[in-house]
Amino acid sequence: MKKSIGDNMIPKDWGFDRGLELVKKAGFDGIELWLGDVPWFQMSTTDIDVRELRRKVASAGLVVSNVSTGLHWGSPLSARDPRVRAQAARIVERQIETATLLGSDAILVVAGLVTEEVPYNEVYSRCVDALQSLGGTAARAGVKIGCENCNSEQRFLISPREFWQFLNDVNSPAVGIHLDVGNIHDTGFAEQWIELHGPRITRMHLKDVMKHRGRCGNQSVYTNLFLGDNNWPAIRAAMTKVRYDGWLIAEMEARYRYAPDQQFYDTAQAMDRLISGRL
Amino acid sequence: MVMTRREFLTASAGVMSVGGVLRGRPGCILLDLKGGCLRESVAGYVSALHPRVRIAEWHSLSPCAVLIVPGTLDISPAAARAIAACTHAGATVILECGAGFTDERAFGAQRAALLDCLQLKIEPPVQLWPRRTPYIDYSWPYSVKLRDFSRVVPLGAQTGEMIAWVDDLPIAIKRRRGRGTLIFLGSPIGPALWAHDAQARSWLAAVLATA
Repeated sequence: MKKSIGDNMIPKDWGFDRGLELVKKAGFDGIELWLGDVPWFQMSTTDIDVRELRRKVASAGLVVSNVSTGLHWGSPLSARDPRVRAQAARIVERQIETATLLGSDAILVVAGLVTEEVPYNEVYSRCVDALQSLGGTAARAGVKIGCENCNSEQRFLISPREFWQFLNDVNSPAVGIHLDVGNIHDTGFAEQWIELHGPRITRMHLKDVMKHRGRCGNQSVYTNLFLGDNNWPAIRAAMTKVRYDGWLIAEMEARYRYAPDQQFYDTAQAMDRLISGRL
Repeated sequence: MVMTRREFLTASAGVMSVGGVLRGRPGCILLDLKGGCLRESVAGYVSALHPRVRIAEWHSLSPCAVLIVPGTLDISPAAARAIAACTHAGATVILECGAGFTDERAFGAQRAALLDCLQLKIEPPVQLWPRRTPYIDYSWPYSVKLRDFSRVVPLGAQTGEMIAWVDDLPIAIKRRRGRGTLIFLGSPIGPALWAHDAQARSWLAAVLATA
C-alpha cells in the first residue's frame, strides 16, 4: 500500500512547490490533487499548466494518487436544474481529462446530494443515469470513478448494501467506491464496508471519527488517525481480507493551530503503523 | 371533486401500472420536443406509461385520445399550434411547463406561444425554495399533495378550473378547448414519475381515467 495526502491540506500561505517538499519530506509516496479547491488547480487551469503540475510532482519524487474535487457540493449531479447537472458532468469530465494528464487512473466524485428540496428517489435516479454515461467516458480514458461515501453530509447511500445496490444499478466496471473510513460515523463500521465492497474500492480516504460526539453547530466529529473511535485493527484486517493493496489517502481537517506541517509528519507515521499492522 | 370508490381503485392501480388505464383505448402520444424539454420528464412519462405510449414529434402528430407534452423549455409557435389542433380534435392534452429552468428570453417566447395558440396566460417563474413544505396541493381529479419542482410557473387570471395551488399561487388549470381538454401543469411531475413517486403515478392514472 502507498500513502498519499491531499494538496488541500497544504497550509494556505505555503504554495504548491513548498507543499510538495513537505509531503515528500514527511514520507508520503503521492499527492491527491483537489480540482477547484486550491489556487493552482482550477477548472480554468489549462492542459499545459496541468502538465506543469505533473512535472512539479514528479520533480518532488511523488506521483498523483488521484484527482478529487469539492465542486460537486455546489454543482451536484443530482440537481433538478439541467444546466447545473450539465456543469456537474463537465466537472467529472475535466477530472477524467486531468487524471489522464497527471498520470493517475482514479478520480473522486461526490455523487449526489439529498436535500429538503431534492428528495432521495430523484437523487438516486439522476446519479445512476449520470454515472452510467460518465462511466463510459471514464472507461475509454482508462480512469475509474470512485463515488465517495459521504454518508452524513450527503444523506445518500447511508448503508453499505444500499451503496452496493447503487453500484449494481450503475453497472459500469469504471465506477466504484472511494471509501472514506471516517465518514461512516454512527451508521455502521468501516471494516464492514471494506469487506462488502472489496474489489470495487478505487481508493481509500483515512481519518478518524469521534462517533459519539454528534454534530452541534459547526463542531467537527473528525480527528487525526487513532484519536477517534474507528476500530483500526479491524479496518487493517479487513483490508488484508479483501486484499486491498491500493492508495491510502489522508483526508483530515487541518487542525494544528501551531506548526501545521507537524500534522503531515504525524499522519505519515500513523499511516505507517496502520500499514505495518503494528496496532 | 369527490373521488368515487371506482376512481380511487383506478388511481391506486396506477401505482403499479399507469399505462394499464389506457388499455384498449385509442392512442396516447408523448410529444418529444427534444432539446426543448426536460429529458427526465420525458423519461418519467415513458416509464410510467410503457408500453402504451407512442413518442412523436410535433410535425408528425396524428389524432389521439391523449397527448402529453413533458417539461417544455422551449416551444415553437408551430408546435403550440399542433398542440392546439389536438385539443380541437378532441384530445385530452397534458401540457407540462419546464420554463422555470430556462432563461428570460426562452420564457418570453414560450409565454407568447402559449398565449397566442392556447390562450394560456402564464406568469414569470417563482423560486419556491426554501419553504416549509415541499408539496403542491392538487384538487382534481382528487385531492392529493405532489412534490413541487423547485421553480414553478404560476398562472394568470383566466377562464378554466384551477386544479392545483402552491400556497396561494395557482399552478395548474383544466379547461375545455374545442372538443378536447387542456390540462396545464406549472410544476413538472415527469421527474417524480421517473423517480417512481407513488402519488404522482396515481394522480396521472386518475387523470388519464377521465380522458
